[in-house]
Amino acid sequence: MARSFRYYEKKRGNRSTGSSKLGSAGEALFFAIFLLIGCGVLAVLFTTLVVPEWRVNHEFVEHTCVVLDKRIGESHSDEGTRYRPEIKIRYQIDGQTYVRWTYDISMSYSSGRSDKQAILSQFTVDEKNPKEYRCWYDPADPSVAVLVRGYTWWIWLVFIVPVSFIVISGGGFVYSVLHWGKSAERCAAMTRRDLFNTNNEPQRKFPNIPDCADITNSPGTRLKFRLPIASSPAWILFGVLMACLLWNGIVSVFVVFAVGGYLKGNPDWFLTLFIIPFVLVGIGLIAFFIRQLLVTTGIGPTLVEISDHPLYPRDRCRLFVTQSGQLMMNSIQVLLVCEEEATYRQGTNTRTETRDVYRQEILRREAFEVHRGLPFEAECELGIPAGAMHSFKADHNEINWKVVVKGDVAGWPDYKRSFPVIIQPANRLLGH
Amino acid sequence: MTDPVVTIRFDGSGRVYQPGETLSGEYRLASVHIGAVKAVEVSVLWYTEGKGDEDLAVHEFWRLDTEQGDWIDPTRPGRFSTILPRSPLSYDGLIMRLRWCVRVRAFLDRGKEVVGQKVFQLSNVPAVKVSAP
Repeated sequence: MARSFRYYEKKRGNRSTGSSKLGSAGEALFFAIFLLIGCGVLAVLFTTLVVPEWRVNHEFVEHTCVVLDKRIGESHSDEGTRYRPEIKIRYQIDGQTYVRWTYDISMSYSSGRSDKQAILSQFTVDEKNPKEYRCWYDPADPSVAVLVRGYTWWIWLVFIVPVSFIVISGGGFVYSVLHWGKSAERCAAMTRRDLFNTNNEPQRKFPNIPDCADITNSPGTRLKFRLPIASSPAWILFGVLMACLLWNGIVSVFVVFAVGGYLKGNPDWFLTLFIIPFVLVGIGLIAFFIRQLLVTTGIGPTLVEISDHPLYPRDRCRLFVTQSGQLMMNSIQVLLVCEEEATYRQGTNTRTETRDVYRQEILRREAFEVHRGLPFEAECELGIPAGAMHSFKADHNEINWKVVVKGDVAGWPDYKRSFPVIIQPANRLLGH
Repeated sequence: MTDPVVTIRFDGSGRVYQPGETLSGEYRLASVHIGAVKAVEVSVLWYTEGKGDEDLAVHEFWRLDTEQGDWIDPTRPGRFSTILPRSPLSYDGLIMRLRWCVRVRAFLDRGKEVVGQKVFQLSNVPAVKVSAP
């Protein structure tokens, strides 16, 4: 049955219609065009900026000249007026007299009139008693001469643009050519070859299971390993602060305009109505930041230690949880959670969806106090279910296992802290 | 004339395999005359299905190519055999599924392709059940 075209929704996923070979050809052509443009621009910049400077420093011949006149050249554009020093010199080569306006080889304009004036003041114009200055002329074309030599560093910055074009489009072109007309399986097999030895030993042993090294590199005080927290509360706070400052900084500009209109007795109602939702989001961000600030600073660190790692289905191990701070806890809950995470493209957006597929309460304590210097401590047993799927990580899909500590503190916002664990597959044939 | 078809058969009867076990079998190209097959690719691979974009990884890959001097006789079955890896295991979750399969892709003359695929299960992780909220 034919499906109606959806105007209101972006196309979901990495799907295409038509010939894949034609698509690859179009992709290769696209990159090839940009590669050619990059190479062309690079060649032009090289011959017009680098080569002349190099020739001035290595091939131009030293000579003497007299200064006849001097002035500041001006170039007017939308960005304002730019200047360059211009000095009229006279010199003789093999009996022939040359007169020209010059200074350096690039004769480029730049902002700032005063520094050009300072350059001109170094040269004296005296028709009766002319002073001699050093100059350098081009032996291939003696009509070309300069008063200064040297290199300008900024011209190398100009190369960033064409070099970026070449690197990105060159990489894309090579990728397109390597995958030209090849099946998805053959491309995947080519990727698997590990040309740069990036797949480490655990990855080869258990493909697509995350490495345990980050989890087992910190010893615990009570049990064998201290589990790392998924995302540090301080980093979350920093992220929220940055988002808050950026959003409210931009919105505040419009608020100033709107308030200014009211103060002058000329209110802009359209602007006022337009910015109201943005201001509300900004207030929400501030509230969220204050909440995070309270959770980060008021609630002390949560530590989780584990007796064994990595874990396997049917495994039983010990878990030790501590919670510091000065808190009146309504409850603390420790959970073992398995979460599926799927990332997909929708048009130009990339979205991630998560879904809990397993949730087991390991520990729950209610109504107790945590005193400063005397943290809450509890040890419990963690059991991995027999049919548990192992941890999994691919480009767009993941299965993550984690120990989650949820706290309900009287008079404070609730908090939740996650500690990833790795579950490897049980295997009858391979000894687990 | 019937369209070309690829059929795949595993040795033994089961479709459930364990990590480290050998998966072997054969494939056949039907309704294809001799000389019409330019290349055949046999892959043992896993791929994901579900909410996320597809991930795909090849565990074992063989390619027979007449241009590389390989002899391809579509009247005779082709064999494959591989030791299965420790992970990832087949999985049937809520928003993602992970499937293992043997996929045979035959490249015929005039740019045609024919693909056959047979899914098998690596280990027996139970499917995730949707529990009531």
